[in-house]
Amino acid sequence: MKGLISSIKRMEIHDGDGLRTTIFFKGCTLKCIWCHNPESISPMEQTAFFSVKCASCGLCKGEKNKSTSLKCPTGALTHFGTEYEADKLCEILAKDKAYFDNSGGGVTFSGGECLMQADFAKELAEKLKEKGISVYIDTCGYIKKEAFEKIIPFTDKFLYDIKAIDSKVHKECTGKDNDLILSNLKFILEKGCDVEIRYPLVKGYNDSEAEKIGEFLKKCNFSGKVKVLQYHDFSGSRYEALGMENTMPKVFTSFEDVESAVNTIKSFSVDCINGITED
Amino acid sequence: MSMTRDELTKYIDTGWKCEGEIDVFEKDCETFVFLMDNCQIIIPEENRFFVDVNCHHLAAELTWYRARVMKKEIMTGDHAHANDTLAYTGMLDISHTCPKWEDILELGFYGLKKRVEEYKNKYSKNDKTKRFYNGVLKFYDGIDRFLERAAKLAKECNKSEMAQGLLNLRNRPPRNLYEAMQTSIAYYVFHHTFEGTYLRTMGRIDALLYPFWIKEDKEYAKKLIYDYFAEADRLKAPANIPFAFGGNDEKGNSTVSELTYEIVDMYANSNLSNTKFHLLCADNTPDAIVSECFKAIQRGKNSIFFLSDSKVIESLIKNGADICDAMKYHIVGCYEAGCEGELTCTSNGRISIPKALEFALNGGRDMITCYQTGLETDSHFETFEELFDEFERQFAYLCRQTMEVINHYEAHYDKLHCAPLFSSTYPDTLKSGKDLYCDRGAKYNNSSINAIGLATAVDSLAAIKKLVFDDKTMSLEKLTEILKSDWKGEEALRLTVKNKYPKYGIGDDETDKLAARVVDMMSSHISGKPNAKGGVYRLGLLSIDWRWEFGEKCGASADGRRRGETLSQNTSATFGAAREGVTAHLASIARIDASKVPNGSIADIDLHISAVRGVAGNEALCAMLKTYFDLGGFGVHFNVLDTEILKKAKEDPSAYPDLQVRLCGWNVLFSTLSEKEKDEFIARSEI
Repeated sequence: MKGLISSIKRMEIHDGDGLRTTIFFKGCTLKCIWCHNPESISPMEQTAFFSVKCASCGLCKGEKNKSTSLKCPTGALTHFGTEYEADKLCEILAKDKAYFDNSGGGVTFSGGECLMQADFAKELAEKLKEKGISVYIDTCGYIKKEAFEKIIPFTDKFLYDIKAIDSKVHKECTGKDNDLILSNLKFILEKGCDVEIRYPLVKGYNDSEAEKIGEFLKKCNFSGKVKVLQYHDFSGSRYEALGMENTMPKVFTSFEDVESAVNTIKSFSVDCINGITED
Repeated sequence: MSMTRDELTKYIDTGWKCEGEIDVFEKDCETFVFLMDNCQIIIPEENRFFVDVNCHHLAAELTWYRARVMKKEIMTGDHAHANDTLAYTGMLDISHTCPKWEDILELGFYGLKKRVEEYKNKYSKNDKTKRFYNGVLKFYDGIDRFLERAAKLAKECNKSEMAQGLLNLRNRPPRNLYEAMQTSIAYYVFHHTFEGTYLRTMGRIDALLYPFWIKEDKEYAKKLIYDYFAEADRLKAPANIPFAFGGNDEKGNSTVSELTYEIVDMYANSNLSNTKFHLLCADNTPDAIVSECFKAIQRGKNSIFFLSDSKVIESLIKNGADICDAMKYHIVGCYEAGCEGELTCTSNGRISIPKALEFALNGGRDMITCYQTGLETDSHFETFEELFDEFERQFAYLCRQTMEVINHYEAHYDKLHCAPLFSSTYPDTLKSGKDLYCDRGAKYNNSSINAIGLATAVDSLAAIKKLVFDDKTMSLEKLTEILKSDWKGEEALRLTVKNKYPKYGIGDDETDKLAARVVDMMSSHISGKPNAKGGVYRLGLLSIDWRWEFGEKCGASADGRRRGETLSQNTSATFGAAREGVTAHLASIARIDASKVPNGSIADIDLHISAVRGVAGNEALCAMLKTYFDLGGFGVHFNVLDTEILKKAKEDPSAYPDLQVRLCGWNVLFSTLSEKEKDEFIARSEI
């Protein structure tokens, strides 16, 4: 079985414990306005054009497709979406096994929404586990429950996004309602899965949600950790390169904003850390 | 009465210009003592331990003057051409020495002198050894008079602590931490300035000072640590003052102590710009000290270099050292290892690896000057293997040529340099009554040749293999023409090769194997080959800042590099080529058999601060280091860079006077770099 992957990033320390390799699955169930991986939203292959990198060498003859992107010598044309067999991908990911072992790291499935390709994710996770490699699932939670049922046996930890508790705010920011997300979270918590909550903080959009998130997690008897992530709008050029409308809010979320959210959540006796300093 | 620098220079000049044969040992001992007796002693207000003098580099100039005369004799014909094309260079190295620090701090000048007297009585056999012992004793008498003079002056300047210490050192070994530190700095000045042998390590400083440290009040001792390093930082040195710490004692026990942590803590909280540290990482080195070092690096204090204890020892043994000597190794200069009893010469020769390939492709001719500096060949090859064989033949020729130049100097040590003080610190050398240089009194008399531009050469070979022999995109003749034209009209091809082709440093199996093969090949022509002073040659892969000048003289290369651009640095991937990230980069480097490269195979890792911030970043760095050493790596340094800060510092250097970056083997203030170098650092930080 094949999976569609937008990119693979090695030596990542922000996607879970230790040194990790993050695989960005292609395709997402949400469309968050602040998405910083816009190349992972569409489940289709895409070729982006980064004009600043173009050396005008002429090799592409002005055509923008997978074949010309493979020829492009500067990365101005970059193709997002490579099909991998699970075996082959597993082999690539295992290259850093020595680093994983020394750091308590492993592989993180991210995206996009990695569970949109749940069967492939399951096959890959199973193979990684056979090699003794840790698997973390970074998910937005907006996916049918069956997907979680499939992946749970091969998952060491879920990195689970909560963007908002207020469904109106959620819909405005992500295009979708959050009932399914919250019920899935309850489901995996009931199953006893190890879960870290991630709360991407976007000033003026979802910063008023901190209190509700704290309250909700307290109600769920959540005993894991919440990490508040600082929003930045660095990915703007990728929207342009993909020919997509740049929806990223032009706002600045400060260290103090993150600290404030952390303290709010902590006030509900929920363990919470600042994603900038990791403490 | 002291003399001005001009007067001292004039005195020495008469020594340089004397006609005919001179007895270097006798003449130089006389000169060293003259300098000690007559130089001006300065007491800088900020100094706590020792004085400054007005005769820096004058003693060393004696040797360099003679070496320049000798250079004119040897650098003719082919060697002169090679010098113009920078295919190779050979030279004298008196710049990477390590005395026996344990004895210096245990015995002090007083005890060292007593030992010389004792050995003279016991072991003096003939006129030659007598001459040696007498020369050494003259030097110690000079030290004694100097200490007396310095103490008097210190007292006049109200430096009573310094004055009393100096007087004590005339009469007995150092007894406390202050006196040990004073001995350390004073010895540096006598060795480096008055003897003109560049001293390139202050030793394993935590182990050396620990016996004194434990006897002191902690608060007082802490203050001493700060003052000692601040003063050492001000010593005149060509490329930083190196200190080692960590590592094991000769029984294999870790010598990391609370003092080690104290030193790292001091470094993290100081603004030392001329100090560098070598952390010797053994299997039993505590993780906590590694973590503390990385904390300093995360704060931009990046002069800490990491070496694999086991790999250093293995490489020294492979190169002929006895195991007990290998275990007591020292690290000199940037990051080169030498065993106990080795007269460490780490920088005698340099060979451009890409130049050997250039000669293979171009009939043995230099692509820029057209000189026939390499061996003649028709440069016609049916297979990649034939090309590789020719590359090897050219490289081996450059090795022989380099050795001929080095041997010319080293066969004449007796006419170049002597080191009475340095020689007297090693008991075995002292017993033999031989000077380390003049009489080749060391147990190991090795020389080193550094091969420059490994990744440039490997990537070029890999590109030729793919373009010409595997894909058959073009003939080798056509490619050579393109390179000779510096990629004229072939920008698309150049960029394709540069950015799309397999590279060393991305975990590509075939290219990594090729790199390991090139290193094995080079080692077979260098490591273990006899030199002219009774020792052997050692291969090193240090290209440090030489990569710029060697690159300037190197034609365009098949890896996509333009004519004149820099060659790759040390054992690292070509700048910008490590596109799979640091884990892949380190793993590729570790596949080189570092045990065949005793003079050092070094990874240079640039990291943006955002990738390794905080506790998680610290843990990641520790794990990366451990894995690199597990995989067989030799040494690595990390530059943690922040693009925005570098950019601002380039615009307004005055706003960032303390900003440091690690320039290959040593640390520099960012503000002192050339514009070209600043731009390179900014570009590196953006990857």
